[in-house]
Amino acid sequence: MKNKKLSLLAALLIAAMVLAACPQPTPVVETVRETVIVTQVVTETEEVVVTPTPVPPVQGGVWVEGSSADATILNPILASDSASFDVLGWFFPSLLGQDPFSGAIVPTEMASSWDVSEDGLIWTFHLQDGVMWSDGEQVNADDFKFTYDAIGSDLVETPRKANLDNIESIEVLDPLTIRVTYGEVKCDALNNLGLGWLPSHLYAEDYSDVMDSPLNQEPTVSAGPFIFNEWIRDDNSTVLRNDTYWKGAPNMDGWIYKIVPDPGARLAQLQTGELDLIGVQPEQLTTVQLDANLNLHKFKDDGYSYIGLNQANPANPQAGQDEDGNLVEQDPHPILSDLAVRQAIAHALDYDAIISKVYLGQGYQIASNVLPAVGWAHDPSLQPYAFDTDMASQILDDAGWTDSDGDGVRECNGCATAEAGATLTIRLQTNAGNTTREDLGALVQDQLNGIGFDIQFEAIEFGTLVGELLGQTFDMVIIGWTGLGTDPNDDSFWHSKFDTPGSGFNFVSYQNARIDELLEQAVSVPGCATDDRAPFYHDIQKIIHDDIPYVFVTGSVGNTGYSKKFDGTNPGPWSFYHNIETWSLAQ
Amino acid sequence: MARYVIRRLLQAIPTLLGVSIISFVLVYNSPGDPILIRTFDPNITQETREILRRQLGLDQHWALQYIGWMTGVTLRSGDAVEEFTRNEIRCNYLAVLNATFCNSGGGILRGNLGTSIATNQAVWERLVERMWATFQLGVAALLVSLLVGVPLGVLSAVRQGSPFDASVRVLAVVGNALPSFWFGLMLIFLFGVVLGWLPTGGMRTVSLTNEFDPVDRLRHLILPTIVLALGGIAGISRFMRTETLEVIRTDYIRMAKAKGVAARRVWFVHALRNALIPLMTILGPAILGVLTGAVIVETIFSWPGMGRMTFSAAVQRDYPTVLGAVMFFSILTILGNLLSDILYGVVDPRVRLS
Repeated sequence: MKNKKLSLLAALLIAAMVLAACPQPTPVVETVRETVIVTQVVTETEEVVVTPTPVPPVQGGVWVEGSSADATILNPILASDSASFDVLGWFFPSLLGQDPFSGAIVPTEMASSWDVSEDGLIWTFHLQDGVMWSDGEQVNADDFKFTYDAIGSDLVETPRKANLDNIESIEVLDPLTIRVTYGEVKCDALNNLGLGWLPSHLYAEDYSDVMDSPLNQEPTVSAGPFIFNEWIRDDNSTVLRNDTYWKGAPNMDGWIYKIVPDPGARLAQLQTGELDLIGVQPEQLTTVQLDANLNLHKFKDDGYSYIGLNQANPANPQAGQDEDGNLVEQDPHPILSDLAVRQAIAHALDYDAIISKVYLGQGYQIASNVLPAVGWAHDPSLQPYAFDTDMASQILDDAGWTDSDGDGVRECNGCATAEAGATLTIRLQTNAGNTTREDLGALVQDQLNGIGFDIQFEAIEFGTLVGELLGQTFDMVIIGWTGLGTDPNDDSFWHSKFDTPGSGFNFVSYQNARIDELLEQAVSVPGCATDDRAPFYHDIQKIIHDDIPYVFVTGSVGNTGYSKKFDGTNPGPWSFYHNIETWSLAQ
Repeated sequence: MARYVIRRLLQAIPTLLGVSIISFVLVYNSPGDPILIRTFDPNITQETREILRRQLGLDQHWALQYIGWMTGVTLRSGDAVEEFTRNEIRCNYLAVLNATFCNSGGGILRGNLGTSIATNQAVWERLVERMWATFQLGVAALLVSLLVGVPLGVLSAVRQGSPFDASVRVLAVVGNALPSFWFGLMLIFLFGVVLGWLPTGGMRTVSLTNEFDPVDRLRHLILPTIVLALGGIAGISRFMRTETLEVIRTDYIRMAKAKGVAARRVWFVHALRNALIPLMTILGPAILGVLTGAVIVETIFSWPGMGRMTFSAAVQRDYPTVLGAVMFFSILTILGNLLSDILYGVVDPRVRLS
């Protein structure tokens, strides 16, 4: 009898242990509860099962992003292209974080907090303690100072020198405290402090090796979630999990950046699972939406497309200001300096048709220069120009642009800016190869010619177009801005001091003393509170809307197609990978 | 023979010099500015652009830049020793001329193709990195072109006027007319997406280790090779058909037939051998055509080769890379033509090199 009891006990024990090892939790719980009474040995099993812990993330897996272009250099202060930042962004810590959903600057990176002096000129940043480079050195304030001093060095050729504008000094108060002193208050100044930090202990103190360091091609030391592994040019870059990442090592083994130049081939590879993420073109959306293995992340991008209207005579480009900062009166554009012509253009375009047919629905009409994404500065009361060809024709008639010879093209018959008899002939240019812009150009040409314009449309190579734009030798241009960021300050597009032929971005030669004044006031508001800055931007948007230096065509919409391979993805408009260390292979 | 080769190589020197001048003038005078393209960003100041332009030497007259590119020696007015002396650049100020001479130790005369503006890498290094990829694709495409094109051409000639001949003619026309980007995408869609038999692009299946796997490499080579070889198959098959038809009308073939030699032997031994000779003349240019004409195929199939690199360098106005690639391809052209002439002499004893 005793033997029988022992046998039963042993059988129960074995059954309990076997069942406890099974992955199905529900029936196991019941069984084990019966057995716990029997022996102390099983009590350990009870702890595991009765208090269910969260399912541990699955380790492993690789994420492959497809890109049209390869990185050029993996140094955060030398790179100027987005592909390079896609890769090097994994390695170099930065001072400031960005909320992935609102875009606001947040203390989620090296700066855990900061103080600002009352006059707004001195910023003191307190750094995260215990952040280490993967070679065991601590990331500290010296790295920040070294990086920004290197940018300023004559030995370093970098397009990032403007990041030092207005910074009077950078001081290291202690290894975890940085003080940055500005010459004057500029509310968007923090944006210049976002570059990745170089590991200063690996470079010469005099910056003499920054340009030629092998680290520019193989940045083997990292303080981010991944460590550099290999870069096969024009093919792929691979990075591996950084087990010492201060926010917690990612679950995935690594991340790959694969170069697939052709958009059709990228989509095909996303469908076959060779890629896990691509930027989706509008015409590819349906394919991604219908694929059960794919997700689509759609977001309002921080950019817009527009038609720039040159206000000055392209035969005689002039700077907007003289050396003393006084406005220089421009030689006006014979046609486009006439506000009535600009208004007629703005009313003659069928924005709904453009957005639905050219942008395939991936856009939204905007009224002026501040996008809705920058909610606090955007003026929602401003209405975009309505499509109304009758009104457009009437405006041209009233302004003295009429078709007196019946050839379908209007001439100046008493207009304000051109010689009598001059036809309404305007060149319209865009960059060849961008099929969306080429289609838009054809549609704009068709719609404007429909009300008596004679639009000469041409798509030219991008490098040539840039030369014409900055040289201010164009009439009208279809182009766009991307990466405008979270601060509404866009003075470089409108301020007369940036109307400098050959270099300035106010290449439409827009000149308005009131706008100059408002733009300056808006970035130098003491305290930089958004409530105090917003009224300035509302005024700016109203004036830009009324003056029409640009015809705003559409706000940009981004589309990212990605696989369902990993759980935990939570893409935001400002960052897809912000929580990549928490992703785990889908079970 | 040796004298002939040496003479041809010596003749190549003025040719290359001419190529260097013409290509330099063309590239530097083409519209677009490498600095503006790199800095088309409102956050970058004009001052920064000027510094970059000066540091890269782009502010100088093109003739001075050309001399610098050829010899590695640049000239600056005034005392600019401090500004330009760096790790690999030594500068000296000559007070008599009030000028600074800098010697980078480079220059194409010393075999240095310069440094890329876009990536700060040595141009030679960039070319070498991609040479192997283009070479693999080029050789594969050339082999397929020959192995398919030659038999098709000969058989077409043998069966002149037959449905087979007509089919090959149609294939040749279609092969020449099909845009390779369209044909490539169709193959990717069919064999990659729908059937899933072959990879859709790249040289290898990417992984964190990127280990060499010959089978995987071959699988990646199939589709781009077919697309790149299609034009070659079309051209070579038509060429071989014409040449074979010419040969089979000659007296010695008629004699062979009259003597009762088997038809197959007549076609493939007597006729083919002689018809192949003129093929040698197009082989040199064909090799180069495949190597340089792979730009589109390399783009569609994400193939990391030299053609794609040169094209993107041109778009970015990366002058040193474009010029380096042009010089490299020029040398290849000269060597290809020389090889073609030598081979012609080797296979046809009637031709003497002199």
